[in-house]
Amino acid sequence: MGTKFNIDRKPVPDEEINSHKDFGELIKTFKKQSIEKARSDTNFLKNKKITYTAIIAGATVLCTVTYFSVFKSKETKQTTYDKITTIPLQTNAQNSKSNKAFIVPPISKLNVPYQKFKLKSEHGATLKTQSNSKIIVPKNAFVNKKGENIIGDVEIQFREFHDQADIIASGIPMKYDSAGIQSHLESAGMIDIKGYQNNEPVFINPKKQITVELQSTQIADKFNMYALDTVAKNWTYLHRDNSLKGQKPLNGRADSVAFVNVNENAKTKTLQKQIDAIPPKIEIEKIVYSKKINQLPKANEPTKPSKAIEGRPKFQLDVNAKEFPELATFNNMVFEVGSENKNYNSKLSEITWSSAEISEGPQKGKNYLLTLKLRDRIEKLFVYPALTGKYFDNAIKTYDIKYIEYKNVLAKRVVDEKRLKEEFEKKQTEYLAEQKKLNDDLIKERIKIRQEEEQQLANQFKSIGNQQRVTRIFQVSNFGIYNSDCPNSMPKGEVLNPVYLVNGTTPLLNLSYSFLICANKNLVYNLNTNEPLRFNPNEKYSLCIIANGKTYMCDHETFANNTSNKQNKISLKEISSDIDNVVDFKKALGI
Amino acid sequence: MEFSPRYHHTADMLQTEQHLIEAAKQNPEHFGPLYDKYYKQIFGYVYQRMDCKDTAFDLTSQVFLKALTNIEKYEYKGVPFASWLYRIAHSEVMQSFRTRKNLRTVNADISDLRNICEEVEQEYMEEYKSILMTVIKDLPEDDLQLVELRFFEKRQFKEIAEILNLTETNAKVKLYRILDRVKKTLTKSNKNGN
Repeated sequence: MGTKFNIDRKPVPDEEINSHKDFGELIKTFKKQSIEKARSDTNFLKNKKITYTAIIAGATVLCTVTYFSVFKSKETKQTTYDKITTIPLQTNAQNSKSNKAFIVPPISKLNVPYQKFKLKSEHGATLKTQSNSKIIVPKNAFVNKKGENIIGDVEIQFREFHDQADIIASGIPMKYDSAGIQSHLESAGMIDIKGYQNNEPVFINPKKQITVELQSTQIADKFNMYALDTVAKNWTYLHRDNSLKGQKPLNGRADSVAFVNVNENAKTKTLQKQIDAIPPKIEIEKIVYSKKINQLPKANEPTKPSKAIEGRPKFQLDVNAKEFPELATFNNMVFEVGSENKNYNSKLSEITWSSAEISEGPQKGKNYLLTLKLRDRIEKLFVYPALTGKYFDNAIKTYDIKYIEYKNVLAKRVVDEKRLKEEFEKKQTEYLAEQKKLNDDLIKERIKIRQEEEQQLANQFKSIGNQQRVTRIFQVSNFGIYNSDCPNSMPKGEVLNPVYLVNGTTPLLNLSYSFLICANKNLVYNLNTNEPLRFNPNEKYSLCIIANGKTYMCDHETFANNTSNKQNKISLKEISSDIDNVVDFKKALGI
Repeated sequence: MEFSPRYHHTADMLQTEQHLIEAAKQNPEHFGPLYDKYYKQIFGYVYQRMDCKDTAFDLTSQVFLKALTNIEKYEYKGVPFASWLYRIAHSEVMQSFRTRKNLRTVNADISDLRNICEEVEQEYMEEYKSILMTVIKDLPEDDLQLVELRFFEKRQFKEIAEILNLTETNAKVKLYRILDRVKKTLTKSNKNGN
């Protein structure tokens, strides 16, 4: 039978579900079933235990009516159970209707960047982040999608969130739904951690945990640990944050910043690519150079003819000029048997050999190896080319001409080789200079990034300077987003239907986001832009509003002034659209 | 015994629930609070997989009857009572497809399909709707269960693992593989479409 697929089916109303709930009927059926089962047993009456059960079962049928009166009187308690179990499901369903992606940085140019670390999975590592937090990765902490242990380089991508600017920039929702009660999370520090091998996501080995020791300026011991479930679109309570147990807050600034890794930007990536492309270019030039050298005319030195020695045994042989070009010019050449051939005797000259082959001898161009064969007999002799009488004189004349030609070719080749070498070396030098320049630029760019990050960190942690700090410990069994938080209910007290005015004059419409920033707590309320503004007049707030692709803010003094006399006009200032990093964003928000 | 408060909010609530289970083991009458607490969830689970509402109500009653009959066998060994009920519900639902020839049904919202697209880093397009429906319908039962629990019922991996009697990592790995296949199908259809 096939499978049917329903889209957007109407949910069954709670009233209808509740109308089918009938515990009395369930108990009745259960007892009936118990009695029938007991009766079907042939030893029913003989078995004391079963008899006892049946008696109890019979008795409980009678008690059913009593149950109804007992449990109906506990209606409040039942409602409590329903609330606990059913409301979150409804809320999730409502959440899931949203067509927006769950985590969307509200300002397109702005986000909290990832720090990247590489480590060998089989070795593990302790990584130090830019804020001096630690990521402790045990040995063999990763498995692949098949659940197999991973060996080799794993890239950890990590980012941390410390204040309201980080929270707004990241777009990570801080709303928390607990049993239908909406609240916003006040953060004592949040992390986002992922792992990859060759761009493929990896998983944490179920037998291992990654420990993150996060530096935090929130020293209160009131926080819980939560993990963000991006599908259920809600935070999941994990446990109480007990990381402060036995820990005394430390005064002053965190230790000096230790950079393990430098984040790359588009420019450094391009530079690295250009640098990587240079060695292959040099290799290509080398190949072209070698080819050109090989194509140059070869200078083959002619062999100087030798005069035949009187009385020395000789062989007259036909020589393949292609095989031995150095002998090609000699007419009527003979091969003298060298005195080193102890195996030679005059009888060898009398035999008609079936084959006589010449090959190169140990002194190249001077002597040759003559191999004589007749059936199974093989004789090997070292022979020397030689000429007699007028043939020798003619050969000498030819040799002189050939030698001059050879010298000319050789001289030209030397010049050409030198020119080609210079050309190649020039190109190689140019490439190496380019590589050096690119390397310098890359180093400069990386230093710039590092300085910016240091500056960012310095700003990020400037508040730590004179504040106390603690280490919050996250035990990570799965990659994702974790938070040490405390839920805060929506602000109560005053209610306004605000009219936002840019620079006190131009009304601002079509709000995309409205963030109410708590000055005294690490807390940001992501407000519904269509609802009135609720706030506690005893708290200090500022506002960050995003509309029509622009970012506006209202500092806490203006907010306090504008709202003190219950007027509904709130003056906003536009934040520069050039801001593309959290440090400047923080400054602009006055955090 | 320690209880994990993972999706019951507090250890106290789990402890209370354990008392209710013990009481129900002693006397079936005391099963009432557990029945009230989980009725809607179990009906939701059953109806999620059925086309006919009345059949879903009947099966829900069956699930609780079975739970009550077997409650003596339930012991807290890390699997919460809710997951135990879901396992019974799953078995009943599957049984009904086999014996009563009830129609296996997948129920989802458009937003769930969008969520799947988001998870595989694809922007949702109207033409993906029918592709996703076909891909999901054609999944083997075990894979379909995973997709339903995670995307249509928005359950945490821990709970999914407990219901399906898997390790959490195994559930993740399996779902990742399914999503990988979905992604490939969508990418392919995108290429063919272009």
